[in-house]
Amino acid sequence: MKKNQKKLAIKIKNVTKTYVLRHEKPTLIESLLYRPKKGIHTALKDISFSVYEGERLGIIGSNGSGKTTLLKLIAGITKQQKGDIKVNGRVVSLIDLSAGFHPDLTGEENIFLNGLVIGMTRREIEEKKQSIIDFADIGKFIDAPLYTYSGGMELRLGFAIAVHSNPDVLLVDEGFAVGDENFREKAHKKILEFKRQKKTLVMVSHWISELERNCNKFLWLERGEIVKFGGKEVLKKY
Amino acid sequence: MLSYFSKYWFDFVWVMTLKEIKARYKRVFLGFIWAILNPIFQMLAIGFIFQFFIPVKIDNYFYFLFAGLLPWNFFSYTFSKCTPLMLNERSLIQKAKFPREALVLSIVFSNLFHFLISLFLFTVLTIFVGYLSLFKLFILFLAILWLVFFTIGISFLLSTLFVRYRDIKFIVQAIIPLWFYATPIIYTRALLPEWVATILKFNPMTGIIELFQFVFISGNSIINLEAVVPGILISLTIVLIGIYLFKRDNQYFDDWL
Repeated sequence: MKKNQKKLAIKIKNVTKTYVLRHEKPTLIESLLYRPKKGIHTALKDISFSVYEGERLGIIGSNGSGKTTLLKLIAGITKQQKGDIKVNGRVVSLIDLSAGFHPDLTGEENIFLNGLVIGMTRREIEEKKQSIIDFADIGKFIDAPLYTYSGGMELRLGFAIAVHSNPDVLLVDEGFAVGDENFREKAHKKILEFKRQKKTLVMVSHWISELERNCNKFLWLERGEIVKFGGKEVLKKY
Repeated sequence: MLSYFSKYWFDFVWVMTLKEIKARYKRVFLGFIWAILNPIFQMLAIGFIFQFFIPVKIDNYFYFLFAGLLPWNFFSYTFSKCTPLMLNERSLIQKAKFPREALVLSIVFSNLFHFLISLFLFTVLTIFVGYLSLFKLFILFLAILWLVFFTIGISFLLSTLFVRYRDIKFIVQAIIPLWFYATPIIYTRALLPEWVATILKFNPMTGIIELFQFVFISGNSIINLEAVVPGILISLTIVLIGIYLFKRDNQYFDDWL
């Protein structure tokens, strides 16, 4: 029994997520005239597992096994059709770092916008603004509109905002650490810092070695179902 | 239920609204002037042409036009911009969980901001030219409230439907000019045959625009409520359907984008 004072971070109970398959986009006119036939794709089928605070979960599985869907559900970006998901604390995903920036607004204005989108309050952003600017290392560009930024700068800003939001649960999709060598190292250090702070981490990757280094719990998904869930032994079977 | 509307929620709607206002004029010379110039040009064009066609029995026709065009523009700009909104903001929707209604509200409030500036200038003008009583200002306040309420409802409805049915955008584009002519903006209902005037009562915009005209056109001292009651009932129905569908579907938007 896993009840030694550990607090639940994520509880997934009998979760099923389905998508309506569309070969063509439906139109209102069609739907009113006749009922177009719909195919249903089940991305996750009756999944249950729990993650405790401070655990670092690595999710493996082949393409289309439901890994990203699971991350999206934990992040609250979409919702399951059946079952329950409970997440304690603030979840921040490093899925698409440069998403949600407005090209015509300045770096500073975008920090406020993006910070609020991922759940920070205005006061929090005000307090951490300088530290975000320093971490992203964008210097005097902070007052320039975002369309003048290079791809790398946008990415750094996105990452800086995400890690400064003080998440309780951090979601990492594969290939998040893009950018130059210098920034990759910085990003990696930040992940290590989260590890030390005993934050909960959920990571999706194809790279077994990356998961082995960062995680201590593993979930193997295949065709929307759990093949195995547990410690290092899962990786050996994979 | 009430705790849902936290300080964070209001902050979020506020910052999104500011973003809308700022982004709109960021790289435009003359900035805000456009918010006022647009309806003036429109008024001049329509006023110039239509005085040849309609046997206009309306005093100060240009002035009359302006009273109807201002609220109509706010209404039609807002819901046509909101219709494809979820697709345009998909990068935000796919990034995190946040109150999605803020996307719609930020468009409504930023347009409301521009509408209120023009309306304020128009009101100042009316104080000099015509006359405005406190009672009329009170009616104006109620009319704005009703207009905003209805605009929010229809924007929720259309933005939600658009996520699934992409042809909504074309339907909306086709309906806007029809709706414009089915609303007494360039004419009054008194000029129409009885049966047409009766049908128009069931267009909520008729009641709203007639309230605005009552406020700004001197001479009208009797308020005509016959389009107001059916209008309010129909707007309420549309608002409730819009909010219901948005609430039901907004957490699944990502599946369709």
